[in-house]
Amino acid sequence: MSAAPNRRPFDVGRAAYLTLNALLLAFLLLPIAIVLVFALNPTPYISFPPVGVSLRWFEKFFGSAEFMNALWLSLWVASVVLVLSIVIGAACALALARGNLPGRAVMTAFFMSPLMVPAILTGLALFQAYLLSGIGRPVWGLIAAHTLVAVPYVIRTTLAVLHNFDRRIEEAAAVLGASPTRVFFEVTLPLIRPGVFAGGVFAFIVSFDQFPVSLFLVVPKGETLPVVLFNYMKFDLDGAIAAASMVSILLALSVVLVLERLIGLKAYVKL
Amino acid sequence: MTSAAIKLDQVTKTFDGRVMAVDAVTLDIAAGEFFSLLGPSGCGKTTSLRMIAGFEHPDSGRVHVGGRDITDLPVHRRDMGMVFQSYALFPHRTVAENVAFGLRMREVPKPEIERRVAAALAQVALTGFETRKPGQLSGGQQQRVALARALVVEPPVLLCDEPLGALDRKLRQQMQFELKELQKRLGVTLVFVTHDQEEALAMSDRIAVMNGGKVEQVGTPTEIYERPRTRFVADFIGEINILDGGGPLRALRPEKIRLVAPDGARLAGMVETANYLGGSTLLRVRPTTGSSMLVRETHAGERASRMPGDAVGLTWNDSDAVALES
Repeated sequence: MSAAPNRRPFDVGRAAYLTLNALLLAFLLLPIAIVLVFALNPTPYISFPPVGVSLRWFEKFFGSAEFMNALWLSLWVASVVLVLSIVIGAACALALARGNLPGRAVMTAFFMSPLMVPAILTGLALFQAYLLSGIGRPVWGLIAAHTLVAVPYVIRTTLAVLHNFDRRIEEAAAVLGASPTRVFFEVTLPLIRPGVFAGGVFAFIVSFDQFPVSLFLVVPKGETLPVVLFNYMKFDLDGAIAAASMVSILLALSVVLVLERLIGLKAYVKL
Repeated sequence: MTSAAIKLDQVTKTFDGRVMAVDAVTLDIAAGEFFSLLGPSGCGKTTSLRMIAGFEHPDSGRVHVGGRDITDLPVHRRDMGMVFQSYALFPHRTVAENVAFGLRMREVPKPEIERRVAAALAQVALTGFETRKPGQLSGGQQQRVALARALVVEPPVLLCDEPLGALDRKLRQQMQFELKELQKRLGVTLVFVTHDQEEALAMSDRIAVMNGGKVEQVGTPTEIYERPRTRFVADFIGEINILDGGGPLRALRPEKIRLVAPDGARLAGMVETANYLGGSTLLRVRPTTGSSMLVRETHAGERASRMPGDAVGLTWNDSDAVALES
């Protein structure tokens, strides 16, 4: 004779936990759903409820030279920022975690400070600095500015990995005959790579979405997508904005998914 | 496999300029010897090992291996094997790649690497695990991989930093047998750091008991156990009674004491507690004068002959009470 399975008693705490999770997810995802609705709604102004489904706003977005130039510029800038941030950020994190540097806490705070300062101030300060030093507003100046605000993300994710790093693994490699350079390339780098790439994802998105810093540093005809969208919105508020937002979201999402697929971010990112 | 003698000559190491981790330690370890550094945490045993490996540079004193002064040689040129408590396997590489690492660093030709990796894995009974990642192995298997990885390069010296500390008791005992057997078969000089006195007694040819950065005593397991030189060594290894009868303190092992009738015994008292340990019973006896004594009664029968509350007499041979240096 088998005993009747035990029924799980109703658990108030668990119910509250599930409800809270559902509410948080709704709060995060509903705005995106609304943007999608607007992007597909054919009316020439943003309205609710939608009256139908059409791709005319996506056609307008992809058919506009202004939007396309801005999109390519943003993608190009974000890609360069991604590469620069992971190189600089990983090197900084290694120096901070391993360097035995005097005033390490102060230096860490200094490198993280672009996260603390409002981006609009960073943008304004760089704008003035560029003008005063006669640099003007070249693309590399924009890239440098984005890199400045993106590097702390890479430093943080890399430091998180280094914090949990068992240094005996490097010692084991050294005893087995690996010189310090070989230890770095055979052991250290492969093991911190997930943290570096996780920071790289943030760096890419921070640059691709960057508005306040870019606002001061772009030149006419050389504007990034967020700036173009902002200018467009000042005069028109139609579904093209929503379509552009959807494209941005999908691009950002695909970067995350590709990196997740390649290196399995989930297991490593501890912020 | 060749093996090498190790000599530490007046080696001293301080940390942050203040903490004396290792204080003028001199050790002579013979080629092919299983030598343990035994002591509580902070006694300097691990720092001593790390100076042999080259991870720490002594403030003063020299380290010799195979008759050669290696004090200033970097770690990767010392040609040693090392096994860590945390195993320290490369988590991003397979078992075979882990074991092959040292051979690859030595630029051994590929076919020979494959042959030697297979032989090393066979030696630790892990054939068939080549393509697994360390994360897919149990603790005991990981430690075997670490052992194979260290031994495949045929180092003259194998350093072990509490290698069995993370294993459960049963597995640890099994690995003790395997490691000792392997060491004898290969003839490698093995320096073994442990805080577990039973482990040190069971495995070592000789033991150095360390305390506060200094070596208290070096000797065979029997010498260390039967003839402790200092109170620290006597206390640290097994159970002990310290007798203070004027003159030097004397150390008396609980199993050297015989239970007799109270009349005419050296000490008369009452059994306070009796801890049944399976093959023996450890009694605590409170004498009419003085501090309580531990007595081990080995019994072939089912239980100890004395119960708490029983009046007993204690006696022992003078030669079993070892005089300690003050």
